[in-house]
Amino acid sequence: MKRIFDALLLMVFIAVILVIARWIGDRAYSWMPIQATAEAERVDRIFSFLTSVGTFIFLAIAGTIGYSILIGRAPKGDWSHGHPARSDVRLEILWTAAPTVLVLWLAAQSFSIYQQLDIEGLQPIVHLHLLEEPAAAATVKNTTQLAENIEVIAKQWVWSFRYPNNVISNELHLKVNERTRLNLHSQDVIHGFYVPEFRLKQDMIPNRNIDIVLTPTQIGKYHLRDSQFSGIDFALMVADVYVDSSETYSQWLSQAATRK
Amino acid sequence: MPNPTHHIDESPIRFDRLVQSLPNWLQRFLPIGGGIAHDHHGKGMFGVTVFLLSESLVFLSFFFTYIALRLTHPNWLPPGVKGPELSQFIIFNTVVLLSSSFVIQAAENALKRHKIIKFRWLLALTSGMGIYFLVAQAIEWSNLNFRLTDGLMGGTFYLLTGFHGLHVLAGILLQLLMVSRSFIRGNYNSSHFGVSATTLFWHFVDVIWVVLFSLVYLWRT
Amino acid sequence: MIQVKLIVNGFLKLLPVNKKYMTNNPIQITDDSEDRNSKPDTNWREYFSFSTDHKVIGVQYMVTTFIFFLIGGLLAMIIRGELLTPESDLVDRSLYNGLFTLHGTVMIFLWIIPFNAGLANYLVPLMIGAKDMAFPVLNAIAFWIIPPAGILLLSSFLVQGGPAQAGWWSYPPISLQNPTGYPINGESIWILSVMLLGISSIMGGVNFITTIVWMRAPGMTFFRMPIFVWTVLSAQLLQLICLPSLTGAIVLLFFDLTFGTNFFKPLENGDPIIYQHLFWFYSHPAVYVMALPAFGIFSEILPAFSRNPLFGYRSVAIASFGIGVVSIFVWVHHLFASATPNWMRMLFMVSSMLVGVPTGVKVFAWTATVWNGRLHLFTPMLFALGGVVMFVFGGITGIMLSSVPFDIHVNNTYFVVGHFHYIVHNTITMAIFAAIYFWFPKITGKMYAEGWGKVHFFLTFIGANLTFFPMHPLGLHGMVRRVSSYDPQFQGWNIIASLGGFLLGISTLPFIANMVGSLLLGKKVSDNPWHATGLEWKTSSPPPRENFEEIPVVNEPPYHYNSKAIPEAAVTQE
Repeated sequence: MKRIFDALLLMVFIAVILVIARWIGDRAYSWMPIQATAEAERVDRIFSFLTSVGTFIFLAIAGTIGYSILIGRAPKGDWSHGHPARSDVRLEILWTAAPTVLVLWLAAQSFSIYQQLDIEGLQPIVHLHLLEEPAAAATVKNTTQLAENIEVIAKQWVWSFRYPNNVISNELHLKVNERTRLNLHSQDVIHGFYVPEFRLKQDMIPNRNIDIVLTPTQIGKYHLRDSQFSGIDFALMVADVYVDSSETYSQWLSQAATRK
Repeated sequence: MPNPTHHIDESPIRFDRLVQSLPNWLQRFLPIGGGIAHDHHGKGMFGVTVFLLSESLVFLSFFFTYIALRLTHPNWLPPGVKGPELSQFIIFNTVVLLSSSFVIQAAENALKRHKIIKFRWLLALTSGMGIYFLVAQAIEWSNLNFRLTDGLMGGTFYLLTGFHGLHVLAGILLQLLMVSRSFIRGNYNSSHFGVSATTLFWHFVDVIWVVLFSLVYLWRT
Repeated sequence: MIQVKLIVNGFLKLLPVNKKYMTNNPIQITDDSEDRNSKPDTNWREYFSFSTDHKVIGVQYMVTTFIFFLIGGLLAMIIRGELLTPESDLVDRSLYNGLFTLHGTVMIFLWIIPFNAGLANYLVPLMIGAKDMAFPVLNAIAFWIIPPAGILLLSSFLVQGGPAQAGWWSYPPISLQNPTGYPINGESIWILSVMLLGISSIMGGVNFITTIVWMRAPGMTFFRMPIFVWTVLSAQLLQLICLPSLTGAIVLLFFDLTFGTNFFKPLENGDPIIYQHLFWFYSHPAVYVMALPAFGIFSEILPAFSRNPLFGYRSVAIASFGIGVVSIFVWVHHLFASATPNWMRMLFMVSSMLVGVPTGVKVFAWTATVWNGRLHLFTPMLFALGGVVMFVFGGITGIMLSSVPFDIHVNNTYFVVGHFHYIVHNTITMAIFAAIYFWFPKITGKMYAEGWGKVHFFLTFIGANLTFFPMHPLGLHGMVRRVSSYDPQFQGWNIIASLGGFLLGISTLPFIANMVGSLLLGKKVSDNPWHATGLEWKTSSPPPRENFEEIPVVNEPPYHYNSKAIPEAAVTQE
């Protein structure tokens, strides 16, 4: 009778934490900044999934330990021994195999999401042609033409951007819903290109050609921050990023050209 | 006597049987069970071996850096420089260093058979060969047409040969120390651990040189 | 079975073992150890001297590193003070960069790693039934490197140009920018100090491995060793295998900084990514060097205060090694956002996630150990339980970070800072406090004040969560790490984190008072006040000079809290 009751209690416990984990997973989207690129939507999905799984595991273990603390207190001064069981081979196999399967599943989901990010592969390390165009080693699903190719230049502690018509500006302007390639160049130390709303980050190594590709989807103003520590005024290395409609973008670009 | 009956917590691998099937000289380093804290020589040699294995990994990190830089950087050589030459001079130097390993091993064997005079001469000969190696290395350095700061090749070359040379020097000093200690009465009553450690260290120095020599002198672009 | 007994007996007879230990009736040692194995030394002067007694050295390590913990904590207080407001208004930016650089360096290389070495130094010979470590003089030398190396590092605040300011990773090229131009500068001092500490660690590694392999008491097979010894063995092997990589990295860095070479200078054809790989090849396993002994501590304390055997001892022992082995193959996850090709990102994502499996085995084992137990919530147990629960949280954020698409977003943000502080502070430092309280009676022969211990626990537990939990939402929203000023939208969480930090600072006060007060005025304890298993509890508190009246012979598995019998004097006056 007790065994059935215990099994029932366990099932209820698992059901409850499954529900809570699912709910937390849904809430997780609100803990992220707004999604400003197609990539962001993918990243938030994997984040929600990981948060759900993590919540489940945390509640399961913390709950079990908490329960033990609540009902398992020994009377003061009574140091007698507890139960004699030292191990249970089937249980140990279960809790080795199940986590292995779980992490492989997490890895597979992450891999699948990563494939959907337009992250162009970097050159493999053993490659003698460093200054050529990077090989598109990544599986780039969307092979349509790239709209723009903008050069991002990082120097202690200022961002500048060179546009296809050779305009140089301290503002990054991007066309909404267009795939854009950014060539990342650092002129002195390692910097990091990071816009939280884009969910994309890439370290910029001097003397290397590193590209990232993104598709902004939300018009607005964002901030580009240096994410790789780069010295005294590292915290001040911020630039404005504008995702514009096609017309606004062209307008800005021509105005910037004349201003030169 | 400790009870060896199998228990749920016991090892899934029977270490004792495994160790007994190994050659004797290796078993010396791999004790089983407990209760052998008194084998000071074995304990000491184990410690020195572990240390030398770890030290080799420092050289491995230098070798890794050398290989990675050389493979990925087309401007490896500074302009107008061809790099270290595989000359007869260098080959002879290598032969001297590698043969000295046999000499020091013979020295240790002599000591084990209580032939102290022979031991001293052989150990002194080893130091002499080591000193020759260092002097020859210095001569090679002075004849090179590139410096430490001349590109990636210059930097890695002097770094690798320099640190190796420091270890050769340390080995020579250890040998000279062993020679002088051999004059102390009753020095080897308990064990000749110091000599064994010095010998092993010298073999390690040689192994590092073999790898270094292959990477630096034998690897032609 | 009798054949095995004969063979083992025969083999052991070949070794130069003191035959007295081989009989069923171990006789009293009658040589001059009678004098050496004197009553515990209460002479305080020994603790300032070059003692070769592992117990003295262990205490020297633990007290010295605790002082560095307080210094590192002080640096953190200033950092949290700066971060109360979005502007850089407390210290100038250059000093701020030096503060977080030294905070990280001090906490890792002068607090956790050497404290663990000290605790292991004290406990391992006792736990395996040995008289001392394998190489006692080497042991003392390894300790005495620590204070000068630490003072050297801190002295860099006084040199022109200030301390190293490139973060505790010291990435080139930023770490090679030497504004003063002098060869003696903050960065070169940093490199020398870390080099010295590395030498101390290697000495310790050689000593611990040799001790554990060679000096176990008769009958103490590997699978009868306490888990703490397993974790020390695993951690020290990691040190020996991986620390050389860091040595190589900082030697090359030093050459670039001081002698004009170009190994890591990208504008001179060098490659800073090589530094990153060499650095992290050590520094990832380093976190397991820090965490494994903490896992060992939990494995000792939870059984004792649940009165249950450690569940699945054999799996936990093997997992201790498994974690060590896998941890050697995950380092690139620190480089996911760096110049890492796609295939490498994916490969190391899988390996990084797999390290969660043996870790999970341990967590489940601990949970099963306290399940159905008879719990005693003394201070060590509270710290252990709190540490385990917070570790589950930190471990989960770690698995999340292994997922490359997610990591790309939060890499180098406060999310990572929150994650690793949940490990190094909320797990490992909690385990350290648990260990101090647990073995305090053994080390000093006195009992600490339990009430104040509980106060310390609650202040620490609350402070730990208040300080480091907010860092997760901060990172998700894009607050980058190592910044002295930030966007005003981040201020709310930063205030909470800073208040938590100040609470943590205050929480050390009852601890220090408890330690000093109990040392001077605490009640004397018996050999085994916790009724725990383990050889260290079978000798006096504190142990005599050579640890045991006679070397024990072991014929029981560890954690034998499983007979229904009540241990002698179980119902004691509490």
